[in-house]
Amino acid sequence: MMKLRFASPEMLVDINEIPDLDYHRVDDDGTIRVGAVCRHADLERSSLLDTRQPTMAAAAPLVADPIVRMRGTLVGSVCHADPQGDWASVMTALDASIIAQGPNGRRSIAVRDFVLGPFQNALAFDEIAVEAVVPTPRGMPAGGYLKLERRVGDYATVGVAVAIDRVGSQVGRAGIALTAVGPATIAADAAAQKLTGRPLTADNIGEAAELAAEAAQPKSDHRGSADFKRQMVRVFTSRILTGLLRSEEEAA
Amino acid sequence: MSTRTGRKVGTPQGVVGTSPLRPDGIPKLQGRFEYAQDLAAEGMLWAATVRSPHARARIASIDIAPALAIGGVHACLTADDVPGRATFGLEHPDQPVLAAQEARFWGEPVAVVAAEDLDTARRAAAAIEVGYEPLEALTDPEEANRRDEVFRRMRIRRGDQSVRGAVVVEGEYEVGMQDQAPLGTEAGLAVPDGQGGVDLYATSQYVHVDQEQVVASLGLRPDQVRSHPTGIGGAFGAREDVNLHIHLCMLALHTGRPVKMVYRRSESFTGHVHRHPAWLRYRHEADRDGRLVRVEASVVLDGGAYASTTSAVLANACYFAVGPYTCDSVAVDGVGVRTNNPPCGAMRGFGAVQVCFGYESQMDRLAHALEMDPLTLREINALETGHPLATTGQVIQTPLPTVEVIKSLQAMPLPEAGPSDLPTELPGGSGLTSEPQHVTRGVGYALGIKNLGFSEGSDDYAQARVRITDSGAVVETAAIEVGQGLVTVLAQIARSALGISHVEVAHVDTSKIDSAGSTSASRQTQVSGGATLEAAQRLRERILGQFDGDVLDDEGVWRGDTLVTPWTALAAGDWEETVTFRHPPTTMTDDNGQGVAHADFAVAGHRAVVDVDVELGLVKVLRVDTAQDVGLALNPQSVRGQIEGGILQGVGLAVMEELVMGEGVILNPTFTDYLLPTILDAPEVEALLIEQEGSWGPYGAKGVGEPPTISSTAAVAAAIRAASGREIERVPVRPQDIALP
Ligand SMILES: Cc1cc2nc3c(=O)[nH]c(=O)nc-3n(C[C@H](O)[C@H](O)[C@H](O)COP(=O)(O)OP(=O)(O)OC[C@H]3O[C@@H](n4cnc5c(N)ncnc54)[C@H](O)[C@@H]3O)c2cc1C
Repeated sequence: MMKLRFASPEMLVDINEIPDLDYHRVDDDGTIRVGAVCRHADLERSSLLDTRQPTMAAAAPLVADPIVRMRGTLVGSVCHADPQGDWASVMTALDASIIAQGPNGRRSIAVRDFVLGPFQNALAFDEIAVEAVVPTPRGMPAGGYLKLERRVGDYATVGVAVAIDRVGSQVGRAGIALTAVGPATIAADAAAQKLTGRPLTADNIGEAAELAAEAAQPKSDHRGSADFKRQMVRVFTSRILTGLLRSEEEAA
Repeated sequence: MSTRTGRKVGTPQGVVGTSPLRPDGIPKLQGRFEYAQDLAAEGMLWAATVRSPHARARIASIDIAPALAIGGVHACLTADDVPGRATFGLEHPDQPVLAAQEARFWGEPVAVVAAEDLDTARRAAAAIEVGYEPLEALTDPEEANRRDEVFRRMRIRRGDQSVRGAVVVEGEYEVGMQDQAPLGTEAGLAVPDGQGGVDLYATSQYVHVDQEQVVASLGLRPDQVRSHPTGIGGAFGAREDVNLHIHLCMLALHTGRPVKMVYRRSESFTGHVHRHPAWLRYRHEADRDGRLVRVEASVVLDGGAYASTTSAVLANACYFAVGPYTCDSVAVDGVGVRTNNPPCGAMRGFGAVQVCFGYESQMDRLAHALEMDPLTLREINALETGHPLATTGQVIQTPLPTVEVIKSLQAMPLPEAGPSDLPTELPGGSGLTSEPQHVTRGVGYALGIKNLGFSEGSDDYAQARVRITDSGAVVETAAIEVGQGLVTVLAQIARSALGISHVEVAHVDTSKIDSAGSTSASRQTQVSGGATLEAAQRLRERILGQFDGDVLDDEGVWRGDTLVTPWTALAAGDWEETVTFRHPPTTMTDDNGQGVAHADFAVAGHRAVVDVDVELGLVKVLRVDTAQDVGLALNPQSVRGQIEGGILQGVGLAVMEELVMGEGVILNPTFTDYLLPTILDAPEVEALLIEQEGSWGPYGAKGVGEPPTISSTAAVAAAIRAASGREIERVPVRPQDIALP
């Protein structure tokens, strides 16, 4: 924003020096907490996420490029509310929340309510975001994130986050969210709904992919045509879910 | 007097055929090299430019008062303040120094300001109130053609026009607008000399032509303007045309202070010309054995709002429209149209790139129709020394190893069958998108040809001076080093010719030496190199003659075993030699496009190997191998550098580099949105240098800068075609062209 001179704020608040905000951890109940200055690179290299939060683990190495990942943060990225930002859709698919802190104390805001529109979030002027919270999974977490980049470090042409919690052979909870195909991150709830409460099958994967594509509101631009982007939502949703189904079958 | 003791006539260090360390290499790596962006002078002001936000608009009014009211602002100049010729241009001076009544492209300069610092200058530029009345912009090249808004039309007819072949393939192809995207943006410093004249230090590929244009627009005498070579961070054609040069000199003379300007990235994208987007229509006819019997081509280039070098680019596109193939019945029609799109001009490959994508796509189609191996078809039709160029009929006199290029490509081993197991080597950005089961491999070939040096009867020359100094010799030149290694190669030539080890290259300003011509058209090594060689040879002969010696080396002049003139004595003399070198003359072609338009040619071939995820439309360019006709590799490492860099630029045009236009507006003028290949996108390159004697360049060297860019794009497109089964009639190939054709 400042580099492109879209914004020239008179005052900047540097939160880098606030102690103990660079953490990410998993509570005993499986809740994941990411502090406001935890970098993308910390999450990329984390040994905690691989098994406990595969959607986050898949997304972390796809954010920007290695240099940006050394400095940028997950919380900052969600606050930034860029429709092309990767974390907002991952957090939306996970039903995560942002903890805001201000003079009147703390409050928790669901990410889907936090991102109001392009580059707009729900923080009051005197609040900062201190933490992102991913709730306790309702089973075995599985999922993935796929992102169409035309080149390393490119912003997403399309991104799809899928997060499911498996309970036995059933999908206990499902979340699907879309990056860069609308004015803000899109929660593809109808698509997720198709998967919930039943086993994954080729049929409901196909239906979910179709519903996710319907939920997208892409625009044609230099990254691709609207039709192409919608098609990519379909392919990504299907590929992630098919991969989960395959690993389920392999495990069985 | 000393006597040689058993030491043979030493071969000096760093001669032709070796790859000595570049003098600018380590400073550049360490960040110590002074680029034009780093220039500074005592009491310097900063300048900024006001640009039209419309593709076309009448300028009803310009109010500079609000800008002048800002503290620290020293000058706001508009078209009314241009003291001399109101326009400039490389071939036709048709471009306003500052737009007067009408702005004709998005980003056209309308006013310039100078202020105490950069922020103030930019604020002042924003404060100038320009009353625009938007006019309908002409942005469709077909429509421009219909309205006869053209810079040049070309018509080539060669041979019997009634010939028909048994096998016919037709195609329409499109090439998007590529940008040179030099990492160093336009920058410069103008310093008034206190006597009405000015010294200009600015990004350039051609200081003498800048100087001429500054002289004309400032209404000064030629001796009052000196244009100095300066540190250049890449050029690729973007620095042939004037942009900030005249503005800086106007501001410096107006304020009496040194003035500096540096374009920001988005400004750079509008501040220089681009590669012409092209629309090509082809019809190839062959007999059943695969011999080309007739080629018809139509070439449309969008020149944008002003002439720049559109005429010459169009000529090149038409002359090379058949490629390195023989054919005795040819018809080519070309047009360079005038629109309200951004002006287009020189970029590496200069017209030969666009048509190569067309004719090589056609050759593949023809091979397919004939069920013939694509390289065999190319070999059957290969253009070689002694053959007439299919378009102009000019008989090729210098070596042209087309068949050897083809055979070399054929012989290069292919990589192991893919795809790779490594996720980072699969298609798609960070490489974590695709999976091996979705990926198919494709291999594609392409050949390209281009002229070296200026063509069509232009008086193409370069002057160089070789002077003896205390430590050895210096080559003085106004030829611009843009990163390609000219500073190294000119020194190597002088070392070889003089027989000494210590030679440096000094870039001198326009008042100290005659023109070296542009650093373009792959020409400086041949032309400035030719001047350097001749100057060094003459100097050596004169020195040996004067002292009746038989050997010159680092110690001085020897006669037999006796050092008759030590170097110190030589250095005390006034030894220098200045030579103006001209390559073999060329002529303008006749009404049918026939004639000896070119001085020399080079051919190259590329083989690309790609992996494609067809469902996603993502491409990984794994390898681009090449064989290139180089004459003699004066500096093998520099040649390989040109080849690898040129291939990367060709890969860029094949899969990602495009300025996307919307009604005359560039929609992606940033490095976030205009994608350049990074090192992670760079393919492996195996390069075979084909050396043959016989070109007129120094020691038989040919220019090597452009051929790597010409056919690499077409080869990648062919490989994508092979992998995906899609037609691929447009570059850059966008993901959607593969996934949703
Ligand atoms: C070259 C480049 C490529 C990129 N590519 C991608 C990409 O592919 N995908 C992607 O998702 N992102 C990408 N980004 C963005 C990157 O991920 C940044 O992390 C993201 O913009 C946030 O940066 P930051 O954490 O440093 O926050 P900042 O830049 O410091 O802040 C961003 C905004 O959020 C606000 N903010 C930040 N933290 C807080 C807080 N704790 N409380 C309240 N407000 C806050 C700031 O005020 C500001 O408005 C890219 C960035 C660059 C420069």
